Amino acid sequence: MKACQRGSIRRVYLKELIAAVTIASFVFGTISCSVVATPGDFYGNTTPPKRNILRYVNGDEPGSLDPPVSTGQPEARIYMALYQGLIEYDPRTFNAIPGLAERWDINNDSSEFVFHLRRNAVWSSGDPITAQDFVYSVRRGVSPALASQNAYLAFYINYAEAYFRKAVFAKDSKTNQFVLEKDVAESALSASPGATTSLASEYDSGVVGPESIQGPDVKASPGAETTFHQFMHSPPRLTLPGNEEARNKLLAKNPKLQAALEGKDFVPVSAEDIGVEAIDDYTVRISLSQPAPYFLGLLGHQLFRLAPRKIIEKYGDQWTQPEHIVTCGPFKVKEWLHYSELVVERDPLYWDAANVHLDEIHFFVSQDNPTSLNLYKVGEADAVLNHAVPNAWLQVVRPKKDYMDGAEAAIAFLNINVTKPPMNDIRVRRAFNMAIDKISYAKSRLVTKPLSAFTPEGIFVGYPQPKGDPFDPEQARKLLGEAGFPVTKQGDGFQCKAFPVGEVEYIFNTNSSNKSMAEYMQAQWKQNLGITVPLRSMESKTFLPARNKLEFKGFAVGLWAADYMDPFTFLGLFMTPDGSNGSGWFDPKYVAMLNEANLTLNPQRRYELLAKAEKYLLDNQPVIPIETFAVNWLKKPYVKGMYPNAASLYPWKFVYIERDSSKWDYGVPSLSD
Amino acid sequence: MLRFIVRRLIITIPTILVVITITWGLIRLAPGNFYISEKAIPAAIEKNIREKYGLDKPWYEQYGHTIWNIVRHFDFGTSLKYEGQSVNAIIARSLPVSATVGILAYLLALVVGITAGSIAALKPNSKRDYASMALAMLGISIPNFVLGPILILVFSLTLYWFPPSRWNGFPSRNVVLPVLTLSGLYMAYIARLTRAGMLEVLRSDYIRTARAKGLSETQVVIRHALRGGLMPVVSYTGPALAFLVTGTVVVERLFVLPGLGSYFIQASLNRDEPLILGIVAFVAITLLLMNLLVDIAYAYLDPRIRY
Repeated sequence: MKACQRGSIRRVYLKELIAAVTIASFVFGTISCSVVATPGDFYGNTTPPKRNILRYVNGDEPGSLDPPVSTGQPEARIYMALYQGLIEYDPRTFNAIPGLAERWDINNDSSEFVFHLRRNAVWSSGDPITAQDFVYSVRRGVSPALASQNAYLAFYINYAEAYFRKAVFAKDSKTNQFVLEKDVAESALSASPGATTSLASEYDSGVVGPESIQGPDVKASPGAETTFHQFMHSPPRLTLPGNEEARNKLLAKNPKLQAALEGKDFVPVSAEDIGVEAIDDYTVRISLSQPAPYFLGLLGHQLFRLAPRKIIEKYGDQWTQPEHIVTCGPFKVKEWLHYSELVVERDPLYWDAANVHLDEIHFFVSQDNPTSLNLYKVGEADAVLNHAVPNAWLQVVRPKKDYMDGAEAAIAFLNINVTKPPMNDIRVRRAFNMAIDKISYAKSRLVTKPLSAFTPEGIFVGYPQPKGDPFDPEQARKLLGEAGFPVTKQGDGFQCKAFPVGEVEYIFNTNSSNKSMAEYMQAQWKQNLGITVPLRSMESKTFLPARNKLEFKGFAVGLWAADYMDPFTFLGLFMTPDGSNGSGWFDPKYVAMLNEANLTLNPQRRYELLAKAEKYLLDNQPVIPIETFAVNWLKKPYVKGMYPNAASLYPWKFVYIERDSSKWDYGVPSLSD
Repeated sequence: MLRFIVRRLIITIPTILVVITITWGLIRLAPGNFYISEKAIPAAIEKNIREKYGLDKPWYEQYGHTIWNIVRHFDFGTSLKYEGQSVNAIIARSLPVSATVGILAYLLALVVGITAGSIAALKPNSKRDYASMALAMLGISIPNFVLGPILILVFSLTLYWFPPSRWNGFPSRNVVLPVLTLSGLYMAYIARLTRAGMLEVLRSDYIRTARAKGLSETQVVIRHALRGGLMPVVSYTGPALAFLVTGTVVVERLFVLPGLGSYFIQASLNRDEPLILGIVAFVAITLLLMNLLVDIAYAYLDPRIRY
């Protein structure tokens, strides 16, 4: 009975299975037909939206609408719609164009900036925007209480880092004189050889700030003279750790410094001490602790976009909720459907509202690239975020006329942990670099460019970018041999028996493009050096601390995108031993070279010095440069005023919907004016 | 019966606390934290962030603080990623989305599944039995992360009938594909369970008695057979409803629905501790309550069960 039953069940299953397979093959058959048939110049539907709106697939749900707080690209794009800074970015070149400031003056060593604000700018509540609003926003942005992850971008501003670190000044209670850095310079700085060069490491213990890299004292600064301005130009004050325990520890190590500070009072560095000043209601002056020619371009960053003091003080962390929020950009919040879309509408009070073309922008949430492209294809979205086109789709999507291609100020590289053998040997590091054919790799990736330096290829005009070692497997094997790991021929390939493969691995955060990159590198090293480096894929939040704390051996994938349009945003990674320096390579000589470059007033000369420093970096090979990214997204031909610029940020007020199809973009719009 | 319900409800409380504690521990054991990102931050910034969120305090203090707020005010705090948004508010606004899709999928699965299962059971080994069971087999063996994209490809990208993703409230065309995707597996499973249950019941003595009494076939099936035949379905669909209502990670992410499942996966990836704890606690409570409802339904459906 039982056996009989089982037999009949098996027969039933067999019939079901046949039916199921038939249905499945029918369904898949329809699909494969539909994949092949994608005719047309454009990817999907090109009917413009009925209303004058832009529907933009923006990626993740924004974490916050508070401009200095979030670090992500989706938020940055939203902040550009809702808030304005002193400057705005040019939609094509990404240079600074007037924003809240109508015009500005820069002193001749780029350490002091005076901005003249327009008088007709108001908040979405109708209140006028004044210089005090900017001062408040910067002070808030670098306040320890806000703990913004972007705060480091403001550290060029005088005493901003000291304030952020809750540092203290030392003051003589009788004379009311502050202890200056130069007063204790001998005792504090000469204690460590090569004072300025070991700055970064010293700074962590709180002895000196970047205040001490005072450039040539160029007094010819524009704007009215004030007491605060005199303070900014007086010799830098000494700053010490605010935490008593840390301070005492430091003093105990340095008896001379301790003697100099005997009986002094410690005064916390306050928000009022940092180098931003409202000279009058419509004039702002920013004093930096060192020359920084690229600082102007930084002022478009969200950290420096204005936040409304009145509303923040009234509602605390609830101020960004749609019922309370007050903004100052071309658009204001209309509706926030969490995890679905943020709708912003044109703010009629914006000073340039007449030139804002769109009535609304809908920022759509989508975490997955295929999902984003689907929305785009069926015409539910008008443009998608950068890097939304999956590699596997490029063959189909890239030939379309709405595919946006262009150089990007972002690179991929491999960090090498230089603190552990065998990778502590420069020859070994160079060998691994020279054994990779980056040109073929970039070809296989279709859109990226091979990279031999550490700054992206083709971004910084006039920058004499140095070249790293070329692909040269012969030389690579030779170098390995010199380092004590001879490579021998074996059959068609090579082998390197002496190399301790157990001491290296290649770690990366899990995603398909990192995976194919890892496999490519592994294959190259196997083929050219006879070494099989083990790969380890890790979940992103596990990978990042491992890389940043150097808890890996061998190689770790690194990506870096420019914060501003200057090579220093890349080269500065190795200014400190911590932070984003994922290789443990820290060389005072390199730091000194960069400092020298930044103190150089002539822009071309400065570029040359930066390039020299970059060459030095490449010679030491703490990283293996791999590729310069390319922007990789889509916009419908009727979306105009949106350009594939190097930073993938779009000043939204220039964007409009073109209904006349003869004026559409049939290809990538030009980035030159 | 009442005593049984009260006792079960009381046991729920310590269960939830244990669930929260284990989840809390797991989050703490997981490497990484909410503020780490591709661009590493200087030590000074990290220090200020840790102070701001009380992460510089000893673990037992942080744990005690978390538990106390939950026990005292049922307050899970504010999300670490979504600044200024309370966990309770996030759950309150994402639950309706998950519940709408979940309940629709549930109803669809029940109606289609029970119908198909009954039809199959009434004439075993017939053509319609094979046809419906073949579909059911397909439904069980195709996971929703495959079914979803197929539906999108066919009905959205090729036929342009329904939007490929996004939430647009209910009712709207956006609901169709997620509901179909979500109900597929459950529909198929319910169909098979119904068929099996019905076959068993249709052979039992009391059905024979019913037929012998001269009842019409419709009456036999609906009044007697279905009631008994659905027992396995009931025990399956209780917890299934809990899962459907509290969000399904894959379908919500695939269709970008602002439901609990989307938030849950994003919160885990972001290491957003308060949000993870809140959603886990909520799902656990729903699951326990659903199980209780199943037990009550059992007592109602099967006269032999007494508590």
